[in-house]
Amino acid sequence: MKLNQLEFVNRKKVESDYEALQERLRTLPNKLSYDIMVPFGPLAFMPGKLVHTNEVTVLLGDNWFSKCSAKQAVELIEHRKKHVRKVLDDLQKVMKNFESRAEFTDLQKMSDVSFGVFLVNCFSNCVLFFCYTGKYRTAHKPHSKPKLSNVFEVDFPANGSDTKSMGHFQSEEELWAHLEELERQEELLGELDRMPNTAETNGEDTSSSEEEKEDKRTDLNGMYRAEDCITQGNFHKEVTNSDLFGGQVNGSTYYHSDDEDDIDVGDNSVPTIFFSHTVEPKRVRINTGKNTTLKFSEKKEEANRKRKNSSGNGHATPELPNIKTPADIYRFFVDVVNGEYVPRKSILKSRSRENSVCSNTSDNSAAEFDDRQGVQRSISCDEATQSDNSESILEEEEEEEEEGQQQLPKKLLPSSGTTEAFSGTVIEKEPLSPSLIPHPVIAHPILPTILERKSEEVLSKASEETPKRISKFKAARMQQN
Amino acid sequence: MAEQIQKKLQGELEKYQQLQKDLSRAVAARQKLEAQLTENNIVKEELELLDATNTIFKLMGPVLVKQEMEEAKGTVGKRLEYITGEIKRYEQQMQELERRSEQQRETLGRLQQELQRGQGKG
Repeated sequence: MKLNQLEFVNRKKVESDYEALQERLRTLPNKLSYDIMVPFGPLAFMPGKLVHTNEVTVLLGDNWFSKCSAKQAVELIEHRKKHVRKVLDDLQKVMKNFESRAEFTDLQKMSDVSFGVFLVNCFSNCVLFFCYTGKYRTAHKPHSKPKLSNVFEVDFPANGSDTKSMGHFQSEEELWAHLEELERQEELLGELDRMPNTAETNGEDTSSSEEEKEDKRTDLNGMYRAEDCITQGNFHKEVTNSDLFGGQVNGSTYYHSDDEDDIDVGDNSVPTIFFSHTVEPKRVRINTGKNTTLKFSEKKEEANRKRKNSSGNGHATPELPNIKTPADIYRFFVDVVNGEYVPRKSILKSRSRENSVCSNTSDNSAAEFDDRQGVQRSISCDEATQSDNSESILEEEEEEEEEGQQQLPKKLLPSSGTTEAFSGTVIEKEPLSPSLIPHPVIAHPILPTILERKSEEVLSKASEETPKRISKFKAARMQQN
Repeated sequence: MAEQIQKKLQGELEKYQQLQKDLSRAVAARQKLEAQLTENNIVKEELELLDATNTIFKLMGPVLVKQEMEEAKGTVGKRLEYITGEIKRYEQQMQELERRSEQQRETLGRLQQELQRGQGKG
């Protein structure tokens, strides 16, 4: 298309040159002779006379000349202009074809995509741009064809409501806002509506345009991704997801399913993590949500856990909605993991369980540890600094605990010792995981610290709960002891 | 064994590249001929417009040589035919080159597969 435009411009220039020449030829034979300054070499002029004003030697092309009168020359020029105009028209037809094809494909996609209002707007913006340029060009051309713009306008209303953007050529911000809304709705619903191809198609070249549609779609998707890079990272992901959601292209749907699968895996893994405590008596503190802490027995934990997991999958729990990026999932993941690992006895552990759900470590953990390892590794950088800070708090808390009770110090001392050693490895995460598996109890003090940081980051409410939980856990411990 | 295949692959690749170059050359020549064709058409039309009174010149190097109207028309016509013939020839050449490059592509693909298989085994 760009090539066409370039050619168009060139041809226009040629035509204007010819017209100027015609004018000159017409005025030339008015006088018998002209007094002119003749160029004499590249740097000098010489006064001279232009005689035989009616005789013109015309280049016919391909090294052919003909001497003719001015009038005949004018005729020749006219003939040539006709030719140039013909070429121009051909170029314009080609241009029109390109544009109409692009427009049709865009409109098709607009009609197909369910969330496509924003998509439509984006597409139509692009098409509008084409349309606008087309109009610009036609205006310049003396033999402009208003049909071109009319065609576009006809097609736009044909798709009706989708093409709100006729006037919104510059309202991209509104589009992005709308886009955000839609995607948030999507996430809340947890589903993507994939509308089949509606019957709004123009009925023209649907079969042939489908391929182009796909190509355009991918191109546009790529374009949108490029544009989205300017915006936030989350938004970027959402845009790509939304693009994929509405798509009927196999590739896009495939992508979509992958994203969903990933998210689902994250969700499933979070709820199904079970952690069994050998030391802990039957009473367990579980964080079902950000604000609630419940007592469960170990058996009840699983049931509740499963229940909550299923419910969590069904609708957005207070924890889940925060997950807008995979990082959030992982963060949450870690919290859960940490919560599981948290031993119930220490305050730290209890504190760490702000948002985590206690579960049995026994059976399922083996497979899930691998996931956690990956998760933890990803978060290791974030947690490294946190662990250092949390360590000090941990030790302080342990000291407080030690004052109160005798059993605790015994457990805390080794744990503290391990925490110290652990802190060195926390950064790397890999040594963390193997140590976690055999020594869930030992691992707890560190995990809670990480959890603390993470939970503080993720959930503001968690901080509020910690004092309560600490007290409750203290009470529990007191009771236990 | 894999090395042999690799060498063969290299050879075939070079041949393929050569074919591609020939193809592009043929395409360029054809485009030039097409431009000349259109120009000669214009000249022919303009010659029709002119009558016998005005002289026609042909530029041969630095010299403008006077020509007769009929002569010029004949020359231009012959040139046109020559150009069309050339275009046809180039078309055929291009088709041939395309066919050969296609074959070459197939052999390349086959060799690549063999190489991968050999590498996989090794």
